[in-house]
Amino acid sequence: MIAALSSEWLKLRTTRTLFWLVVAISALMTLIVVAAVVGGRTQDISGAKNQLDLLGIGSLAIFIALIMGLIVSTGEFRHSTITPTLLATPSRTSIVIAKAIAGGFFAVTLVGLAEALVALELAIALPAKGIDFAIQAGPAAGFIGRILIAAALWGALGSGIGIVLRNQIGAVVACFAWLFIAEGLIVAILHSNAIDSNAGRFLPFQATGAILTNGSRNSADVLSAAGGMAVLGGWMALFAIAAAVLLSRRDVS
Amino acid sequence: MIAVEDLRKRYGKTQAVDGLSFTVEPGRVVGFLGPNGAGKTTTLRILLGLVHANSGQATILGKHYDQLERPFCQVGAVLEASGFHPGRKARNHLRVLARAGHAPEKRVDEVLAQVGLAGAAKKRVGGYSLGMKQRLALASALLGDPGVLILDEPANGLDPEGIRWLRDFLRSLAAEGRAVLVSSHVLSEVEQTVDEVVIINKGKLVAHGSIEELKRGKDGRVRVASPQAKALEKKLVNAGFVVTEDGEALLVAGATSAQVGEIAASNSLVLHELSPLATQLEDVFLDLTSEETK
Repeated sequence: MIAALSSEWLKLRTTRTLFWLVVAISALMTLIVVAAVVGGRTQDISGAKNQLDLLGIGSLAIFIALIMGLIVSTGEFRHSTITPTLLATPSRTSIVIAKAIAGGFFAVTLVGLAEALVALELAIALPAKGIDFAIQAGPAAGFIGRILIAAALWGALGSGIGIVLRNQIGAVVACFAWLFIAEGLIVAILHSNAIDSNAGRFLPFQATGAILTNGSRNSADVLSAAGGMAVLGGWMALFAIAAAVLLSRRDVS
Repeated sequence: MIAVEDLRKRYGKTQAVDGLSFTVEPGRVVGFLGPNGAGKTTTLRILLGLVHANSGQATILGKHYDQLERPFCQVGAVLEASGFHPGRKARNHLRVLARAGHAPEKRVDEVLAQVGLAGAAKKRVGGYSLGMKQRLALASALLGDPGVLILDEPANGLDPEGIRWLRDFLRSLAAEGRAVLVSSHVLSEVEQTVDEVVIINKGKLVAHGSIEELKRGKDGRVRVASPQAKALEKKLVNAGFVVTEDGEALLVAGATSAQVGEIAASNSLVLHELSPLATQLEDVFLDLTSEETK
């Protein structure tokens, strides 16, 4: 397992994918922070609460963490490197676990980088606009910690989804279609008068929202942060198991 | 060392491998031949644990691939000239495999030099020619310094110089005591490289033996000329050989030159010519596989 994990770590560091993802995250974060600070009204970006929300911009990198997780797995099928990977590590379950850990670890790295960049840019941009930088270390650490946990789970979830779906473009399209279209539709249907269920809170995107908002929306429709982590972890485990079962049963030809 | 026993694999309605059995011993280079779709690659992938057999056994060193301890260091494999991330440098590709397969990282530079890629080690694989990719695949197979090598069409994409290099390379690997199973459709190339061949068609074993045995068994003929042709023909027929006339000479089927010469000598018959008719492996291969196809 350690050998497989070490190999996955090296794989991710030895292509240009990571570099371009870092560039994309940096550019995206900078663009959003500049737009928020320059375009935002002073009262909207003043005070610890508002600025903590701004710090949450970094959580957008979770989507890139998902892509990272997908690339970790689908890249093996896209470039047929799954064959040498299986020859070096015949235990297919070990490969699934190693990829989940690697996907989660890289997601944390990317999102952590994004958060650090956003914090740095806010620390520079807010005073430049004459606004005090009011974010306190304690609340910020708790908030960023929850974001990093969500990132780790999404990175690992992405690697599982990638092994299940295998096709890189298909997996990215399917994930984003789910997150931006399907899940919202399902939640709306569940909320409709005919069904009137809050089961939608157990869907992955809703669970992520609960983690990031710390359940602060505080209603029966929203899980607590811990509940969100448990649900998202459940989705991650479900796809990891499905990936292990499918990879073990499939012929690699 | 490599043992395939009554192996069967079906894809839908296609029986890819159908009761195949053969063995490969240490220090031997064995050619694994068959027309396209014969089941060669499927068999090799079953041996390596990549494809699940429906029934039968495919073992290396007495175990299934995934049951071997550190299999990457016991079995090296080349399955295709792909299997590389185009954006990764060759040296890093090997480092990734060395880590996963428990091979010492110092082997990376050694095998790159061994396959003649030391100068291109820091180039991204996407810029490699097909021949260079084949060499890199061979380097991957050698990383763990394995005693068994399974190579699927390793000559694909190699230029004539590369093919000659591969031939010498495989011979040197066998001389070190390794068992080498190499599939190929470049029959003339295999003829110069292997100790024995396993020929399959439609997933079934068609022939297994040394090249000389196959040539002799299939179409061993000797051309013999004698001023006493009639007497010689009679003696040869009495010995059980099939004899046909070929101009001034006789063609003796199923015999070696030594057998014909001994019969002539024991009957004090004069010979003007005694020569085995060369049979190309390609002819044997086509005969065997076309018979099976009929």
